[in-house]
This record gives sequence, structure tokens and C-alpha cells, in this order.
Amino acid sequence: MFTIEVFGTWFAVFLTLAIFSYLYDDNPFYKAAEYIFVGVSAGYWTVTFFWTQVQPNLFGRLWPSLETVNADSIFIKIWYGIYNIFGIFLTGIFPKGGIVGHPEIRFIYIIPLILGIFMLLRLVPSVGWLARWALAYIVGMAAGLRFYGFLNSDIMNQIKATVVDFSGSWVSILNGVIIIIGTLTGLLYFFFSREQTGVLGKLSKVGIYFLMISFGASFGFAVMGRISLLIGRFNDLIEFSSSSHNYATFWLLAIMIIVLGAWAFQKKSESGEEVTN
Amino acid sequence: MKQFLNIIIKLGSIDRRYIFILVGLSVLIPLIRPIDIPIRATSQSQDVFNALDALTPNSKVLVSFEYGPSTKPEIHPMSMGILRKLFSDGHKVYATALWPDGIFMSVEALNQTEEEFSLEYGVDYVNLGFRPGNEAVVKGVAADIRTLYTSDTRGNHIDDISMMDGINNINDFDFVFSLSAGYPGTKEWVQYACDPHDIPMSTGCTSIQVTEVLPYVEAGQVKGILAGMPGAAEFEKLVNIPGEATGMMAAQSFAHLVIVAFIIFGNITYFLKRRSDKKNLGEK
Repeated sequence: MFTIEVFGTWFAVFLTLAIFSYLYDDNPFYKAAEYIFVGVSAGYWTVTFFWTQVQPNLFGRLWPSLETVNADSIFIKIWYGIYNIFGIFLTGIFPKGGIVGHPEIRFIYIIPLILGIFMLLRLVPSVGWLARWALAYIVGMAAGLRFYGFLNSDIMNQIKATVVDFSGSWVSILNGVIIIIGTLTGLLYFFFSREQTGVLGKLSKVGIYFLMISFGASFGFAVMGRISLLIGRFNDLIEFSSSSHNYATFWLLAIMIIVLGAWAFQKKSESGEEVTN
Repeated sequence: MKQFLNIIIKLGSIDRRYIFILVGLSVLIPLIRPIDIPIRATSQSQDVFNALDALTPNSKVLVSFEYGPSTKPEIHPMSMGILRKLFSDGHKVYATALWPDGIFMSVEALNQTEEEFSLEYGVDYVNLGFRPGNEAVVKGVAADIRTLYTSDTRGNHIDDISMMDGINNINDFDFVFSLSAGYPGTKEWVQYACDPHDIPMSTGCTSIQVTEVLPYVEAGQVKGILAGMPGAAEFEKLVNIPGEATGMMAAQSFAHLVIVAFIIFGNITYFLKRRSDKKNLGEK
């Protein structure tokens, strides 16, 4: 029976095979899968961001449930009047009586709301420059946040870790010495204030070897990771080739091979015609 | 001999698509016909196990899901292994996600373990879900988790969840475990939460991230590392519950052998070609 679950598996198999088809050549199947992936990802991220952050944590803090807010003042009544106007058009986002979750109104959240609107104004060329304010805040905040993180964990603690502990076993001492040589010579390779000749040149060459070993390890791990992902896709393709999934893998593989074959043949004859002309 | 060398040189410039087919077959065949291969835990995987084993029962462990379907084959077996270890030792699990698709992964893993261990939601584990903001979320968890998370993935208010009593920031957790496939992930937990607040943490990450995280492991900032699928298989061996990763290790090993063989072969043909080119140039 062709249920919605079976349709889902057929679609998953189609997309997997379409991506694999790039190994043969860039083709319409691959392009379709690529565009679907980009579109679905963008849509999914937008919806998730909105419903996990913007609606509950921004609107929810600006217009919390009236059950928890003292709405006696005229200002609060006007504030919720604006909310009710939004609620006429977007009931799901602005439910009647405020958004449940926060005990009090936090007017400070008007600032992120305004910065968020500025960000969207990039779409309007005449006032697009306002987006720079929001971007400036993001860049400044990220730089400050990251500076602290890197300074503490990546510089201070990593420098501490290069100290050789001579009370340990000879293996750990040797390991420590190798780490300190690798760190210093690796850093010397990136020292460009002097020409890398003589002792500096020799030491930076040692640094290159350490860097090469590191790149080799990274490459090895990258290959390992990619193979793991390939195993994951193959596992699914094997599972979906069973009768419970109406032999999705076999059918779609056969169809794609035929269509790709015809496409390649057509492409070849078209390029042949162009050469003749 | 010359003819043989010419064949070798010609094979060196073989169409890359044949190599894809051979690598594909080296993965496919062991998956269709599984082979048992011996698995031995590395010191880093053992360190992860020891760190979790040292926790006193009823410890509060924050498990962060920072991966999605694209890296599921590598990380999900680790998630299962880690959750099984934590629940069998009687710890409380607080799940978060720094990636939006991490919610699916956490829900799938927690639903499965809930069945296996007859767990009760809100008592044994809670799923706080995803919040956008990358490192700002980690910083938020470190400073004030209640400002960031007002409800869980099931829509329950944080104040109504009994196991959230007394949980206000990262200092209220005994351990952090990051299941990471990139940014934001392990690095951000080290930099913004665990290092500044001195909370022990460990990680299970994708192979591609290992060289990035290893310096933290060497420096003692992270207690061991489960490195990719082999790391997951090693952990399954340590907790003595063979899972998905163990079954996939044969395919992984065979594919590696084929790739190594191709690298060696490619280098041999490269040097042979260079020698033959030099020789031809000399003859001219």
C-alpha cells in the first residue's frame, strides 16, 4: 500500500540518489535536490526561529498574559490595544489576552524589536542603511563575547597546557616536549617580521612539518567522517529497498539511471551538433 | 617490464568515477554481509566512560544536541550510548539543542531510551529544546537558564517541571555532555560555560571536528572525546550494549583500507610518471 510514510521514504530515497548522481556529472536531478534542500532549510529555520524565539521570548515579554499583568493604567491599556490590533490579523501569533509564559512586561525588549525591524529594512533600498545599526550591534556583541571566550579557553588555558610536567612518566614528559616544540615552531612559521633564513628558517621548517602532520590528521578525520555519512545513507537505501517500502531504492535507481542515460545521450548529441555548426 | 609500468601509469589517471564505485562497493558489501571486527577502546573514549562513571547517582547532566540528520550516522549512536549510560546509572538528564534540527534528534533518542528504561518525563529527564543565538544561548544557560528557557518542547512551563526546581544556571549541573557536529557546539560550551564556571564536560563529536577539540582534551578542559563513528562503537563496547555504530565499523574499516590503497597507488603512479617524463625529456 502506498501510504504517506511510504511516500516519505520514496522521497528520501529520490533525494539521496539525486545527490549521489552528482558523482556522475552535474545534472537536473542533483540541481532539483540542491534547490529543494536550500528552500526547505531556509523555510524550516525561519519557522523554528520565529516560534522558539521571536514569538515566545520577544512578543511574549512585550505582551505577557493579562492574567499576570496589572492592566489598570491607561498606558498599559493603550499598549495592549496595539497588541489587539495585531491580533485581529494574526491571531496565532498574538492570541487574545496576551502571550502566556512571562510574568511581567519587559519594555527593554523594544530595543531588539526595533533592531530586528531595522534588519528587515535591508529589503527596502531607500532605508536599507538602517540595517547597519543592527549589524553593528551583532558584530560588536559577538566580538566582545568571543574575545573573552578565546582569551580564557584558547589562549590562557592552552598556554598552561604546554607547560611540561616533569613529575610525570617519561612518556608524558616526551609528549609535553613534543607539544612545546610543535607550538613554538608552528608559531615561528607565522612570524613574518623577519626573513625566514638561518636559524629562524630552520625552526619554521620544523613548524611546517608539525603543521603538515596536523593537516594530515585533519584530512584523515575528514575522510573518516565522510565515510560515516556515506554508511548512513547506504544503510537507509538498504532499509528502503525492502518490500515494506515497495522496493523504493530499486525502482528509483532504475528510473534515474534510464533518465540520466537519456539526458547524457541528448547532451552528447546536442554538443555534437554545435561542433558541426 | 616497461609495458607493465606503462599500464600502472595509465591506471594512475583512471576516471575518478571508477574510484567512487570501488569506495561505494567497499562500504556497501560489509553492510549487506556484516562482518564482526574487534573493537578496542582508545584512551580518549575510556576517559569519557570514566568521567561519566565517576558521577554520583542522581547527578544532573546537561546533554546538548548539536547535530542534525546530515551527521546523524556519526553522532546518534553516541547519543544512544551516552543516554543509556546516564539513565542506567540513575542520573537526571536535561536535554538542550543549539541546532534547530537537534530537537528531532533529542526527541528520537529520548523516546527510545524512555521505552527502554521506563522513564518518566519531567522526573527522569526533560527536553528544553532549541533556542537560536549560538554562543549567546550557551552564555545564557551559563548565566540564567530561566530567562532563556521559559517552556520545554512539550509546552510545559519551566516552573511546572519538578526536576527544574533549583536549576537556574550552569552551576546547578554536575556535568555537561556536548553531542556536537560543528558550530555552535563543543567549542562554545568550553569557552562560554564550562571553562569559566569550572563545570566538567565531555564530548562526542564528528570526525572532522576532532582535531579542533583535541587540544581541549589534552589540556584537561574536556574529559575525553568520542571521535566520530569509531568513538561511538568504542563507547558501545565500554557500556557493553552493542548498537548501531558497532555494526557499521566493518564498512568503515573496509572503506578506509580501499582509500589508503588508492592513496599509496596514486603516489606510486605519480612518482613513476615523473620518472618516465624526466627520462623522455633526457632522450629528446
